[in-house]
Amino acid sequence: MHEFDDHDSIILCQSCDLAVRKRALPSSARALCPRCHTALYDSPYCSINGMLALCVAALIIFIPANLLPVLEIHFLGSVRTTTVLQAAVTVWAEGYWVVGLAVMVAAVIAPGLLILSIMAQVVIVKLKLHNSFWQRTYTTLLKNHGLISQMTMLEIYVISFLVSAFQLSDFSDVYFGMGTFSFTMLFIIILFLQREYNLEHMWSYVDA
Amino acid sequence: MPSTPITPSNEHIVDSTKQTANTDNEAKTEVLPHIQGKKIGLCLCPVCRKLNVTSNSHCRRCFSQLSSRNYASIQQSWALLVTATILLVVANIYPITLLTNRGVVTNDTIFSGISHLVKTGMFPIAIIVFTASILVPWLKIFGLATYLTAISFNLPISKRKLMVGFHIIEWIGRWSMLDLFVISLTVALVNMGQLLDAKPAPAATAFALVILLTQLAAKVLDTRLLWDRLENTNDTN
Repeated sequence: MHEFDDHDSIILCQSCDLAVRKRALPSSARALCPRCHTALYDSPYCSINGMLALCVAALIIFIPANLLPVLEIHFLGSVRTTTVLQAAVTVWAEGYWVVGLAVMVAAVIAPGLLILSIMAQVVIVKLKLHNSFWQRTYTTLLKNHGLISQMTMLEIYVISFLVSAFQLSDFSDVYFGMGTFSFTMLFIIILFLQREYNLEHMWSYVDA
Repeated sequence: MPSTPITPSNEHIVDSTKQTANTDNEAKTEVLPHIQGKKIGLCLCPVCRKLNVTSNSHCRRCFSQLSSRNYASIQQSWALLVTATILLVVANIYPITLLTNRGVVTNDTIFSGISHLVKTGMFPIAIIVFTASILVPWLKIFGLATYLTAISFNLPISKRKLMVGFHIIEWIGRWSMLDLFVISLTVALVNMGQLLDAKPAPAATAFALVILLTQLAAKVLDTRLLWDRLENTNDTN
């Protein structure tokens, strides 16, 4: 395996396959491909304890964010409320299960999986669980991380609260509930969690 | 605008996006002049991005299957894109919501919903909805089509600009989901029988599929294929 020693200083651009010699970067800097400007690598670091704290906070706020009403309308004396989960289920029940499924995955399932996945990875790294079952789980979680984080669309949902509220205010009184607050907090926590998380750093635990 | 030919640059472009931009921190690196990984028998693992030698069949870190290039990805991407285009036309023609207001039923298409917003004077919201549900899907389809045509027919379009466009498309594509979220919230809230009632309509499913298919088309595509032509032909960058 001598050839790998040679090649560890080279990196390939994932978008255009250009070979670039790798070298140390100053912290908080990111190397871009000189040919197509795709991000190549940065100094991989993430705080395991910080991520664990964010995961716990996200898990706690996840429950009210999905169970408390997010919007409330008053129309001629009748009041209607809805939660994020209920909104998805209603569309599904109307027969538009593709739409219902898309909403449910993007707003409920993927964020939940993302939190659980990062939490499991952090715990495995922190407790140094080295036997083959945990290592396999760890690799599987890392392989699927990109997909799960791409399906998490909390930021779009937060904007959609505003858009719906304005649209409905045309014919009724609209109020935000505690769910809106919890959901926005969940979005902010996951935003910081994703900023802190570094996939390449997490993979480096497998290399060692 | 004429594009400049590639000169082997001795500098890495370092982007200090995270904090404290520092121009002195530019890392100087030796760029091997235009060597594709394929030429020197190296490739990245498609799953975990570990550097591998092409002669290995599986990644040495995550054991996924390796491939130097995915040539079928152009066809797959075209197929997904054509399907998405057909569905996007459907999504724009058919009504996306059905609103009953005091016994009067109105079908709203994506466009009529936006023009209603403009009429009631909610311009900022109208702009957001227009961007998310009309501009972004069409931009994505035209952008991807340009990108795929450039690969398939080797068009002399600046590869760097195409790549920048591709990254923008990848990032902005998710925002089309906004419309579906708004529909699901509205349908769940507005259910007061003949008085005031909102229901989803067929275009909603088509629109959801458009988002799914265009995201897949961008994800499936192996962008390295665009850059392969560089050595073969006397091409611009």
